[in-house]
Amino acid sequence: MTDDTVASTSRAPTPKQKVWDAPVRLVHWMLVFLVAFSWWTAEEGEMQWHYWSGLTIVGLLVFRVYWGFAGPETARFSRFVKGPGAILSYTAKLLKPDYRATFGHNPLGALSVIAILLALIAQVGFGLFASDTDGLESGPLSPYVSYEVSQDAGDLHEEAFNILLILIGLHIAAIVFYLVAKRINLIGPMITGSRKAEGLDGPRSGIAPVPAWRFLLGVAIAVATVFLIVWLPTTR
Amino acid sequence: MKMKLFAATAVLALGLAACGGETPAPETPAPEAPVAEAPAPEPAPVATASIGETPADPVAFMKTRHDNYEDLGKNFKVMLDNSKLGTPDMAAVSAAAVKVNEYAGQMGTWFPPGTGPEAGKTKAKANVWTERADFDAKLADLQTEAAKLVTATSTDAAAFKAQFGATGGKCKACHDVYREEDKDK
Ligand code: HEC
Ligand code: HEM
Ligand code: HEM
Repeated sequence: MTDDTVASTSRAPTPKQKVWDAPVRLVHWMLVFLVAFSWWTAEEGEMQWHYWSGLTIVGLLVFRVYWGFAGPETARFSRFVKGPGAILSYTAKLLKPDYRATFGHNPLGALSVIAILLALIAQVGFGLFASDTDGLESGPLSPYVSYEVSQDAGDLHEEAFNILLILIGLHIAAIVFYLVAKRINLIGPMITGSRKAEGLDGPRSGIAPVPAWRFLLGVAIAVATVFLIVWLPTTR
Repeated sequence: MKMKLFAATAVLALGLAACGGETPAPETPAPEAPVAEAPAPEPAPVATASIGETPADPVAFMKTRHDNYEDLGKNFKVMLDNSKLGTPDMAAVSAAAVKVNEYAGQMGTWFPPGTGPEAGKTKAKANVWTERADFDAKLADLQTEAAKLVTATSTDAAAFKAQFGATGGKCKACHDVYREEDKDK
């Protein structure tokens, strides 16, 4: 093969390329667990657990949105959200045999990331204002809205979940597609954070470290938001 | 990003307000029934005796039933909201409890024959009419708790909060069996 650069990269002193930092991975796998748990608790009527599981998701989402501006490059929205042109040319490249996995989210995958995040925000947004017909269970912000609005929020909360399930289904199908059709394992890097640095896209060393204070600030904002959501309504 | 979240939820809330078109119903209770005496400790009267006659206009009757339930729901939400506060507005809570107790007393007359799913849009399941004795027993449970709720709300906040949960449990016990979960409003 003529691809000398690829061959030389494989002899490089750093065989690993860091793609996902710990916060992105932690948020991801906590979301996976808590979305499943939220569903289960709602089905089983374990509403006290549902309430706290949902509020934890609120915190994770606040953090992830913040991290989209303050995190390392693969976490930043400005870096992976692309226009239709980039998405089309990426799709063309994807179908070629010499395709190389993108450093961070690819332009097409970015659509799915944004769609899932928006769907989750809608899901928790409706949940916060929802109340059920029995008048027993309600989201912390439901005292701020009328009976009708909180009933409708409950209905939308239920319907939004179907949309979320569709998006998650597509998400998993795409990952299986890369694994099977392109023989690229995206799951490993989402767990360990790194991938083999052979003939890959992006800087060899991978993502640059982010100062700890930025992470701590994000955690503080997330915790404060959840605290305000729970506490403010009790002070009316 | 907090702003973003708030903006998103605000947009959602606006959207909601726009589609929650149904206007609150005028208070037109269904045919009169003996209202349970407010603070009576003994079980409130159960409306088993007369299931009633099929109304002349079942659809209008069912609409009124729905409106009554909506108003019951509103009153219940007043208590739900207040139950989360350190110092509930006891005047508002008492008024709502009296209203809920009134509706509980009337509810037995809201399901005459011919006003079930076969007659039009309703969330009442057909078994309301086929398992009437159990339905009435669940209603009697509510009437007992609703009467206690009236007493509790004129006592203090702690009594109210405790009795509120007990009352809501009776709403749920009946809904779980006799009310359709669907959102076919
Ligand atoms: C004995 C059974 C029973 C009890 C007890 C009961 N309900 Fe219901 N409720 C029903 C049935 C049946 C319907 C459906 C009526 C219809 O759609 O025609 C209903 C409907 C409702 C609705 C309307 C839901 C909608 O479609 O928007 C509300 C609100 C409601 N109930 C609130 C309450 C509350 C609050 C309590 C307790 C204080 C309560 N109910 C107790 C049987 C009961
Ligand atoms: C509740 C279910 C799930 C949700 C809500 C979800 C959500 C997300 C989100 C928001 C991202 C973007 C990560 C970020 O930038 O922060 C992502 C990426 C990813 N997810 Fe999931 N996910 C779910 C389930 C799964 C499952 C079950 C797997 C494994 C089979 C998986 C594997 C991945 C991988 C590999 C990526 C990185 C994709 C890439 O390389 O661009 N996800 N997911
Ligand atoms: C991703 C997160 C969430 C998921 C997947 C989820 C899912 C669900 C589901 C499937 C139901 C059942 C609806 C039904 O069958 O009646 C439900 C009900 C409910 N959820 Fe959530 N939920 C989430 C977050 C939240 C949050 C953050 C809150 C508020 C703290 C909340 C509050 C409620 C309430 C009050 C109900 C009962 C509403 C009703 O019965 O109409 N949820 N949720």
